Amino acid sequence: MEESMINLALVGLGEIMVAVGVISDLIAALGMLRFPNFFVRLHAATVGTIWGAFLPLVGASLIAAGSEFLGQYRWFMSGGAIVTAILILILAPAGSHALARAAYRSKSAEVRPKSVDHLREFLKKEGGEESA
Amino acid sequence: MLSMETLTYGILALLGVISLLGTYLAIIEKDLVKAVIFSALQSTAYAFIFYILMAPDIVLVYVPVAVGLYPAIVLFLIKKTGRLDGDEP
Amino acid sequence: MIEEEVIHFLIVVFPIYMAAFTLYAVRAVKGPTIPDIVLALDAMTYDLAAFLAVLAIFFRSPILIPTAIVLALWVYALDIYVAKYLESKEMGG
Repeated sequence: MEESMINLALVGLGEIMVAVGVISDLIAALGMLRFPNFFVRLHAATVGTIWGAFLPLVGASLIAAGSEFLGQYRWFMSGGAIVTAILILILAPAGSHALARAAYRSKSAEVRPKSVDHLREFLKKEGGEESA
Repeated sequence: MLSMETLTYGILALLGVISLLGTYLAIIEKDLVKAVIFSALQSTAYAFIFYILMAPDIVLVYVPVAVGLYPAIVLFLIKKTGRLDGDEP
Repeated sequence: MIEEEVIHFLIVVFPIYMAAFTLYAVRAVKGPTIPDIVLALDAMTYDLAAFLAVLAIFFRSPILIPTAIVLALWVYALDIYVAKYLESKEMGG
C-alpha cells in the first residue's frame, strides 16, 4: 500500500513536469517562428532548451522510477534520463553562447533593437591597434 | 481516442516530409554551409525514423556519423576551398 | 491502474510535441541566416532528446534510452563546428 502511494506520487510529479515542459516547448517553437531576428530568437531557444528539454527529462525519469510495469530495468531508464537532463543543462547554454558570439563577431546577424553597441566599438579599437 | 498505430504512422509521415524538404534544400542551396546544415536536419529526422522503427543500435551508429563527423569533415573541406557553389564550372 | 493513466497522458502529449517540431522545422527551413538555422536545429534536437525519453516509456522498452544521450552530445558538437567556422572565416583569421 505504501509502495503504491510513493509510486503514485512519483508518477504524478513527473506528469506535471512533462506537461509544463510540453507547453513551454510549444511556446518556444511559436516564439522561434515569430520573433524578428537572431538575437531575439535566442530568448525563445532558452525557453525551449531549459524549460522544454531539461524539465521533461527529469519528469520522464520520475515517471520511469514510479511505474512498475516497466520491470526491473526501469532504474536504468531513470538514470539515463537524469544523465541526459544534466548534459543538456550544461551543453545547451554553452552551445547557444558560442553560436551567439560567432554570429556577432562575423556580422552574419544584425543586432536590431539596440541603442548603443559598446562591444563593437571596443572590438574596432582593438582590431585597429592590432593592425597598426 | 487515438490508437498507437495511427500515432506511429502520423509521426513517420511528418518526419518523412521534413527529411524530404531537408534533402531538396540541401541539393538546391548555393551556399554550401547552409547545405551541410540542411543535411544535418535530414539526418536528425532519419535518426528519429530509425528510433520509431525500433532500431536503437542503428541510431547509436547513425547519429555520430551523420550529425557529428560528416558535417565536420565537409566544413573543414569548405574552409579549405570556396564557400559558394558557382554557376559556371 | 498507473499504467493506463501514464499511457493516456503520453498519448495526449504526443500531438503537442509534433506541432512544436513542425514549427521548429519551418523556422529551420525558412531561416534567413546560418545561425538561425543552426539555432532552430539545436533547439529541435534537444527537445527531440526529451521526446525520445518520453517515447521510451510509451514503448515500454528501457533499452531505447541511450540514444537520447548520443543525440544531445553530437548536436552540441555540430554547434561548435559551425561557430568555429563562422568566427575563423569571416574575421579573416
